[in-house]
Parts: sequence; C-alpha cells; structure tokens
Amino acid sequence: MKNTAANFLIYGIPIPLICYSLSVGPGSTVVTWEMFGEWIRLRLGMMEVGEVSSEVALGKNILERIRLPRVLLTFLIGSALAVSGSALQSVFRNPLVDPYVLGISSGSAFGAALAIAFPLVQINISAFIFGLASVLLTYIFSFSGKNSSIIGVILSGMIVSGIFTACLTIVQYMSDPYQLQAIVQWTMGNLHHASWGKIGHAITPIAIGITGIFIMRWRLNLLALGDVEAKAVGVNPQKDKIILVSLATLITSASVAAAGIISLYGLFVPHLTRMLVGPDNVRSIPANIFFGGSFLLLIDNFSRSLMEFEIPIGIFTMLLGAPFFLFLMKKNKINWV
Amino acid sequence: MKTSVAISVKKVDFSYGSTKILDQVDVDIQKGQFTVLLGRNGCGKSTIFGLITGLEQYKTGSIKILDKERKKLSFAQCSKIMGFMPQSHKPIFPFKVKEVVLTGRAAFSGFSPSAADKKLVLEALEELGIGHLADRPYSDLSGGEQQLVMIARVMVQQPPIILLDEPTNHLDVYYQTYVMQSLRRMCDKGMTVIAIMHDPNLALSYADKAYFMKDRKILDFEQTESSNQAAFLEYIYNIPFNEIPNSGKSYYLPKNDK
Repeated sequence: MKNTAANFLIYGIPIPLICYSLSVGPGSTVVTWEMFGEWIRLRLGMMEVGEVSSEVALGKNILERIRLPRVLLTFLIGSALAVSGSALQSVFRNPLVDPYVLGISSGSAFGAALAIAFPLVQINISAFIFGLASVLLTYIFSFSGKNSSIIGVILSGMIVSGIFTACLTIVQYMSDPYQLQAIVQWTMGNLHHASWGKIGHAITPIAIGITGIFIMRWRLNLLALGDVEAKAVGVNPQKDKIILVSLATLITSASVAAAGIISLYGLFVPHLTRMLVGPDNVRSIPANIFFGGSFLLLIDNFSRSLMEFEIPIGIFTMLLGAPFFLFLMKKNKINWV
Repeated sequence: MKTSVAISVKKVDFSYGSTKILDQVDVDIQKGQFTVLLGRNGCGKSTIFGLITGLEQYKTGSIKILDKERKKLSFAQCSKIMGFMPQSHKPIFPFKVKEVVLTGRAAFSGFSPSAADKKLVLEALEELGIGHLADRPYSDLSGGEQQLVMIARVMVQQPPIILLDEPTNHLDVYYQTYVMQSLRRMCDKGMTVIAIMHDPNLALSYADKAYFMKDRKILDFEQTESSNQAAFLEYIYNIPFNEIPNSGKSYYLPKNDK
C-alpha cells in the first residue's frame, strides 16, 4: 500500500504536474483552457496556423517560448540537483552534504561569472572546472590525518564556498554594469530566464551525468558503507568515487550555469525520496530523477504565483532546506566526533 | 605437489613512520583450519590483516595467498579467494540487511546484482540463522546481529579463505558463542578461517591453531619456549595467569591476588 502510494507520487505525478504548471504565470487572460485546447489541436496538426485567432497565436507564443521551456528547465534542474545530491551523500557517507554544502555550487557560479565577464572559455566548461576544483579542495581540507568527519567536510565546504564567493565578488567588482546584472541574477538562483537555448546548453551534460549515476547506482550502496568495507569485498572505491563525484559535479555545474545557485535543494530532496522508497540507491536514484523534477516544479509554481512579482527560487529552497539541515544535524549527533 | 598452506607470510617488516610494528614476521596459515591471532591492543594484529588483505602495502618480505604473491593480486582477484570482515563500523544510512549483504557481490556483479546474487544473500542469512532479519534496517540491529550480517556479507563472496577482525567484539556471551560456533562450522565445511580475538579462552576452545603477537613477532602457542602455557600468557599480556584444567582442556584466568 505504502509502495503504491510512493510509486504514484514519484512516477504518476510528473506529467499532470507539468501540464498544470503550464497554466501558472502572468498572462492568464490570454492563456485559458480553451486556448490551451486549440493549441494542442494546432500542434497535433488538426488545425492550420491560419485558422487560429490572434489571441491563440499570442497564447501559443507565451506557452511555447516562455512557459514550456521554463517548466522543462525547472524539471531538468530539479532532477539534476536531486540526483547529484543523492550521489554525493553516498560517496561522502554524509547525510548533510549536497552540491551547495560541498562548495560545488559556489565554485561553478564563480566559473560561470568568470566566463561571462571574460568570455575566454564556454560558460559550461568554466563552471565545470571550478566546480570540480572546489569539491576537490573541500575533500582535501576535510582530512585531519587519515580521517575526515562529517562535520569536517561541512566546515571545509563552508570555507571553500566562502573563498569562491569572495572571488565571485571580485569578478562582479571588475565587470561592467550589464555583465554585473547578469551575474547577480544568476547567483540568486533564477529560472525566469529559461529559454530553449538554456535547455540546449544544459541538457547534454545533465543527461550524461544522470545516466552515469543511474548506471552506477548499485555501486553507491557499497560506497555508502565505507572505504574499508568496499576493499574488504574486492572493490577499490577510489576509482568509483572519482567517477561519481565528477558526474555529480558535471550535473551541478551545468545546472548552475543555466539557473544559478539553488541552495540546499540537493540536500533535502534525497532525504524525502529516502523516506518514500528507502535508502537503497537502486530504487532511490530513479525516484530522485522524477521526484526531484516534480518537487522543484511545485516550488517554482509557488515562486511564480504567490506574489505579484516573482520570488527567486533559490530563496525558497534555502528557506525549506535550512530547517531540514538543522533537523538532520540534530538527528545525526552521534557522528559529530 | 599441492601445499596445504593457505597464507604464507615470510620475513615481513612493517613500520608506521618511524615506529616499527612488525619485525621479520614469519607465519604459515594452514588450509581448512580455524586459526586465531591474539595479543595486546596495538601489537600489530590488525596491521598483519591489513597487509594480507592489501589495505597496507609491505615493502620487504613476501606474503603468499594460495601460492600467489599478494602484491601482484588486484582487489578484484583477491576477493575471489579471500573475504575480509573489518572491525565493526557505524552505518550512516538505514540500508536493509539484505542490501548490505548484497554489496558483498560487488566485485563479481559490476553494476547490477543478478538474481543468483540475491539468492546467495538469502542462503547466507539462513545459514547463519538470521534469515528473519533480511528486511530489517541494518542500523536498527543489535551489535551481535550486525556482526552476523557482516559475516554473511563475507560469505556471499564464497571465498575459500576468510579473515575476521575481532568478530566477537562488543557481543554478549550468547552471540560470542553463536559466532564462534558458526565460524567453526564453516571451517568444518572446508573453509579456512582466521580471526583476531581478545579472549584467549574463547579463542582456544574453538580454534585449531592459536598465534600470539608480542614485540613485533608472531609466536606459536604450542611451540612456546616458556615453561608452560600460563607463563607464556603472562609473557604476552604482562599479568600472571592460573591454569585451570577441565576435562582434557585448560582454561587460563588472570590471577586475582585479593
């Protein structure tokens, strides 16, 4: 019974939710259900472009150029962050990490900003390189001697995040007002610039990353037990870890380059998924792909419709994620030393 | 000629930094026997295990597992001939018992476990008498049950040799006995079992062969140069022992001078 409900929530919700989300947003006088019906018929080839009224043509533009790319990009990024957070939690054996806590988001944001201000390399590539650099730094800093503790990882992530945020400020300081505006918009975590172009840039790296993690999802269980436990059954965990962290970083950097920093989303969604299907990654990784997408879409619908103006989504996820982080911190107190 | 030696350690030195842990250690572990390794805390028992299992690298001497040099075996090759249960660890995520045990097949089934793997898991759990725990979260189990789960995880590798680092640690008397009997049964079916232990009496009552570590060397309990076994144990543990004979076997208790 619980299984059926969970499966419905994870795999049944996305399509209806995507359809519903297309109806959310400004322009509701133009985009009505009637118009929506005509648009579907138009798209299915049951009507010719000449036959539709100007209102429907306007609505078609809103749907196809604004809402559809936004809804799809939101879903994509929600999946991306949930999968990447889930993989990182297993690899680091730490329920309190996500791309944001580990500093990957800040590193990628710096990389992206650098590429906007000084367009020498592509934004995606620059975001990936700095994202990878930041997670490596966090990993190295977190060791004292041969051990790294849960709290050590979080503190080093904070420091690394701080370093890259400072560097980002320098870039902002040096860039001209137009670039500055673009950079600030990004770092707030914003989806309202969604376009087919952005989807085009983000989809390849995110698809590669998600596919890779999906294939290796059973190995995540082994890594989550620990290094010695992996070696004890004949697996050298180092190679797997490098591949998985790279894939998670690839996903994160692509989503940061497309939508900025969406804080803590990758932290709390894997926990919600775990509550639904259990910790086994064989089931939870596919669940994160779908549930992660749906949930961010749900949050984004609120951020679009709650106020007259749009609330940047990064603020929402931070407000949801922070209490969750505190809850997990209390719950895991045994691991603090 | 086929040797009956499972693991052969020859002239191995090992140091952590400038602290010498092992000095020209020699030992042969016989096939099909239950061998125990004892000694005081920090004497290097786990280090020997680390060297045999490849967690640590040795620079001098040689370690042969079924006649193959340890250094030349990869983790994956090793996993087919040898299983290793590390000291108990703290679980982070509440994986189900069967999911934990299934990870023991990772070296064999790359990215996805097969139906045969899942069957092996249930068989191993049944064999250890913990089949009813299969769907319980590992993190909710008692220390003894967790220990048995980790033994099952080694068993699903189906290795001819298994090494266990303190399998009876933190266990009550019931589980200590249960674990030792399970290991004894595995040995009787032809497996080679090597365990690090702390309690000499528990170890001696189930094992075929006992080795003790002292001053960076491994010593054979039966070929001691001391006048008797109690004196030998006094040398090992730095406290006097009484030997208490009991129907052909002896128990050794620390002397109580009160």
